[in-house]
Amino acid sequence: MALSALNAAWLIARKDLTIEFRTRTAFLSALVFALMAIVIFYFSWDPTAIPAGDLAPGVMWVIFTFSGLLGLHRSFGIEQQDRAIDGLLGAPVAREAIYLGKALANLVFVVGIQMVAIPAVALFYNVSVISVAPALAAIALLAAVGLVAVGTLFGSMAVNTRLAELLLPVLSLPFFVPVVVPAAQATAKLLNGRPIAEVDGWLRLLGAFDIVFVTVCMLAFPYTIEE
Amino acid sequence: MTSSVAARDSLESRTQSGIAPVFDWFLVAAGAAVIGTLVRAMAFTPVELRQGPAQKIFYVHAPSAWVAFLAFGLVAVAGLLYLWLRDLRLDRFAESSAEVGVVFTTVVLITGPLWGRPVWGTWWTWDARLTLTLFLWFVYAGYLVLRGAIDNQEQRARYSAVLGALGALLIPFIHLSVYMFRTLHPQPIVMKPGAPSLPNEMLVTLLMAFASFTLLYVALLRARYRLSEARSALAHQEGGDA
Amino acid sequence: MPENAGYYHAAYALTATIYAAYAISIWWRGRRVRERLKGTSARD
Repeated sequence: MALSALNAAWLIARKDLTIEFRTRTAFLSALVFALMAIVIFYFSWDPTAIPAGDLAPGVMWVIFTFSGLLGLHRSFGIEQQDRAIDGLLGAPVAREAIYLGKALANLVFVVGIQMVAIPAVALFYNVSVISVAPALAAIALLAAVGLVAVGTLFGSMAVNTRLAELLLPVLSLPFFVPVVVPAAQATAKLLNGRPIAEVDGWLRLLGAFDIVFVTVCMLAFPYTIEE
Repeated sequence: MTSSVAARDSLESRTQSGIAPVFDWFLVAAGAAVIGTLVRAMAFTPVELRQGPAQKIFYVHAPSAWVAFLAFGLVAVAGLLYLWLRDLRLDRFAESSAEVGVVFTTVVLITGPLWGRPVWGTWWTWDARLTLTLFLWFVYAGYLVLRGAIDNQEQRARYSAVLGALGALLIPFIHLSVYMFRTLHPQPIVMKPGAPSLPNEMLVTLLMAFASFTLLYVALLRARYRLSEARSALAHQEGGDA
Repeated sequence: MPENAGYYHAAYALTATIYAAYAISIWWRGRRVRERLKGTSARD
C-alpha cells in the first residue's frame, strides 16, 4: 500500500531537514556566504553617488539566488553518497512526491536564509523593512518557490553529470531571470514607499511562474531519475 | 515528421553505406540562395531614407531571429516527442537544431548592436526582444554544455529533452518580465493587417531573406544531423556508449 | 540621409563568415569522426 503522496513528500522533506539540522554544513556555509556578500557588495559602489537604500533590493536578490544554489546542489548531493537515491526510488513512493519533498526541504533552506539575510540587508544598508514586512515576505516567498521549483529539478539533473555542481548555475540562472527581475523590482518599489497596488503586476508574474514551473518541473522530474 | 522518420533507415544501414558529404548540393543551393539575397539587398534594394544604409541589416537580422525561434521551438517539440517515443533519432534532431539555433542566435546578437549603434546611437539596449534573444542564447548554450557533460546516450537524450521543453516554456516569462521592465524596439511593420508599410522592393527582399535563411537552416540542420548520426555510429562501433 | 553603410557591410560580412565557419566546422568534425570510423573498422 503506497503512502499518500503528500505524506511521503513530507517525510522526505523531514528526512532532508533532519540531516541538514544535524550537520548544519550547507546552511551555515550558505548563510555566511550571504552575509559576506552583503558586506562586500556595499563596497562595490560609491555610497556618495548611489544611496545604499537603492542598492538593497538588487543586492538582496542576487544574494538569495547564489546562496540558494549552494543549498540546491546539496539536495541531491546527499543522495549520491552510498547511492541513497536508490533506496528512495525503491520505496513505494510516487516520483512526484520525491520531487515535492526535495523541493519543500529546499524551500525551507532558502526561506531560512532569507529570514536572516533580509534583516541583515536592512541593518547594513540602513533601510526600514518593518513597515513593508508583510508585502516583502509575500514577495520573498513567491520568489523562493520559483527558484526552488526550477533549482530542485536541475539539481537532480546536474548531480548526475560529469560537471556536477558546475552545471547547476549554468542551467538555472537563465530560468531565475523571470523570478529575480520581478522580485527585485517589486522590492525596490516597496522600499521606496510605493503602495502595494503598484507591484501588483510583478506579483502576478511571480505567481504565474510559480504555478507553471512547480507543475511542469514536478511532471518532468520522473524523467530525470529513471535508471 | 515523427512516423515518417521513425519508419526509415536504421543506424546500421547508414553506417555501412558510409556518411554523406557535408557540402552537398543542398547546402550549396542554400548558400547560393543566401548570397543571392544579400546581393539583392546590397545592390538592388532601395536605401531607407530615415535610417540610411544601416537599415539593410534588417534583412539578415530579422530572418536569423525567425530561424533561431523556429530552431528552438523544434528542439522543444523533438524533446517532448522523444520523451514519448524514445527514438534516439529525435534526440539527434534536437541536438542538431539546438546547435544551429545557437549559431543563428549569435548572428542576431551581433547584427543587433551593429544596427542599434547607427540608428539608436547605442550598441546595446535592454529592449525586450534583444534581451530575450540574449537569454535564449544562454539557455541553449547551457543545453549544449549539458549534452557535453553526459556520456550515456539515453540519459543525455532524456535530460536534454527536459531542458529543451522547459526552455521553450521560459520564453514567455522572460519576455514578459523584460517587457514590463521596458521596451524600445520598433513595432512589427510587415505583419500589420492591411497594406504592408514597406515599399514593394524592400518587401520582396525581406521575403526572399526569410525564405533563403530558412533554407539555410534546413541545410545546416541536415548536415549537422548527419554528424550526429556518424558520431552515434562511431560510439556503436567502438562499443562505448558515448 | 545618414552615412552609415559601414555598419551594414560589417554586419553582412560577419553574418556570412559565421554561417560559413559553422558549415566548415560541421565538415571538419564529420571528417574526424569518419576517420575514426574507418580506423576502428580496419582494426576489427
